[in-house]
Amino acid sequence: MKFNIAHLFPEELDLYGENGNIKALKYALEKKGYTVTITNISFNDTPNFSLYDFIYIGSGRPIYLEKAKNILINYKEKILKYLEQDKIFLVTGNALSIFDFLNLYEYTTEKETVTSNVNATTSLCNGVIKAFQNTDYLIKTTSNLLFNIEFGYGNSSTKLEGFKYHNFYVTSLIGPLLARNNNLLNYFIELLEENKQA
Amino acid sequence: MKFIAIITAKILILLGKILKRGSSLPGKVALKIDKKILSKLTYPNIKVVVTGSAGKGSTTNKIAKTLKLNGKTVCFNEEGSNLAWGVTTSLLRFSTLTGKIKTEYLVLEIDERYTKECLKYILPDYVVITNLTKDQPPRQHYIDNVYHDLISSIPKNSKIITLMDEALLRNIENDLPNEIIYFGLAQNKYSYKTQIFENLTSTFCPKCDSPLIYDYYNFENLGSYKCSKCSFKYLEPKTLGQDIDLEKEEVTIDNEKISIGGDMLYDVYNTISTVAVLKELGMSIKDIKNSLAKLNGPKKDKFFKNSDKLYRYFSCKSENAPTFNQALYKISMDQDEKDIIIGWNIISKRYPHTDVSWLYDIEFELLNSKNTNKIYVLGMNRHDLKTRFILAGIPEDKIIEGNNIPEIKDKILNSPAKKIYCMSHYEYGAIFKNTFKEEK
Repeated sequence: MKFNIAHLFPEELDLYGENGNIKALKYALEKKGYTVTITNISFNDTPNFSLYDFIYIGSGRPIYLEKAKNILINYKEKILKYLEQDKIFLVTGNALSIFDFLNLYEYTTEKETVTSNVNATTSLCNGVIKAFQNTDYLIKTTSNLLFNIEFGYGNSSTKLEGFKYHNFYVTSLIGPLLARNNNLLNYFIELLEENKQA
Repeated sequence: MKFIAIITAKILILLGKILKRGSSLPGKVALKIDKKILSKLTYPNIKVVVTGSAGKGSTTNKIAKTLKLNGKTVCFNEEGSNLAWGVTTSLLRFSTLTGKIKTEYLVLEIDERYTKECLKYILPDYVVITNLTKDQPPRQHYIDNVYHDLISSIPKNSKIITLMDEALLRNIENDLPNEIIYFGLAQNKYSYKTQIFENLTSTFCPKCDSPLIYDYYNFENLGSYKCSKCSFKYLEPKTLGQDIDLEKEEVTIDNEKISIGGDMLYDVYNTISTVAVLKELGMSIKDIKNSLAKLNGPKKDKFFKNSDKLYRYFSCKSENAPTFNQALYKISMDQDEKDIIIGWNIISKRYPHTDVSWLYDIEFELLNSKNTNKIYVLGMNRHDLKTRFILAGIPEDKIIEGNNIPEIKDKILNSPAKKIYCMSHYEYGAIFKNTFKEEK
């Protein structure tokens, strides 16, 4: 099997070592004998959403989050079409503030940067999720959640965090999340395989 | 209030000296008694404040000790307490009971996020900004916070001495009207043309956000740059280090070979910043050269030997990449077969966070070579380190997890590797030496 993974703006949004998520995906897929192509997309590139099996975007400095939003807003219909085809799109950390233009979820801007160790569980996989939060933004929407937070901050002061729509996964957690949590990484690997077989 | 604050601090400093305790308490108490104590002191005629993400302690020490060697009296925070409390303690240690600091020079290292609490009172003649890098993510979050705190704290009459090689710092002149004096390192035999590090502090033009184009890199995003769109670009700085030789531990400045006191690139940068400051203070390059040679002394052995192996420890700063990257780059240049030990039992003394995101800013991929025999990952983050090395492409059978250094002693002693490198911070340096140093 061949997989195309797109990393949106890896040089512009490069806070908190979140390219570790791409390294983890590539390693796990190649270990299974699959061919993996990573496409790094910069602010000057034109992304072609029909090519990708998995899109990833991670945390960045506020000035670049704003620029990323201004670019991606032009692709609103294409992103929604991509999501409705059940293809995978993972958004971590403060990049969650980019996608409110899709009108799928809302977020809040916190008075002080939220910084915390995170222990969580999720219905996506067994076991504990170890992560970290370092974000000015949290998700406000309290439906279609991802994580049960045992320690850390959830959406709208609850102990539930994240947002899911089809295979669009949005979370304030960093880690890098997939590098630190094999259980969650395996969930995404199986999902990629299922999508390919479908 | 001022008198009570000073006398209380002096008693506490004396008690601390007797009990061999830390240095921030007297300043903390003095600030509690009189929160404006820093504004009520009479400062020396010449005041230098050194700040930045890294190298400020070394630069402060080099400047202050050179001045002292040349017969000047200097008030400085030698013990490296660089937050508001520690800085206050240092100042009160040198002050009279009326609050006069009776030295000719003040040379203070101040934490980059605490300049806003101190500079408005001290009104330094020179503010030295050594560099600006991603650092301590749970505290700094992102570089813009540090940059904003720094530039908003610099008094309008202070001259700024800073690093041309860092585009973010070169851009201060677009944000502040102050006089700026630059230092930097010229292209040299260790410079490279294609970037080898990821997740850098910034590679975009701070003026217009377009990508920067580099003629060469000296390290990470330090080098000679120009914007791909606007007129923003590197210019030759006033104090320029040239022809560095890390083996000889020398850098050439104004045609004089200057001792750098170590074989790491950060020793070079700390020396160039020191020379830039001392030149502004009126010292001749010959006097600076002679003083630094005397202070640094003869070259010290970087390795210690035990039976058939050479051992070296790299003190690396956690929660950021540069010191690890410099150590890794150096180790990767060594073609001998080697074992690497890496680990720690504490990430930060400031907070309980166990963020490991910064491990992915470090280029551990540099160890992915046939000359790497084994990598020992130890301590509280050994699982995270193991994952990081696997994702750096290191074969899993080369990575060995352990709890501490003594536990792996026999494996190291029986290893076919001829060089043993240890990278850590805080407590592992002494343990590494104690475990492997030959008994005499």
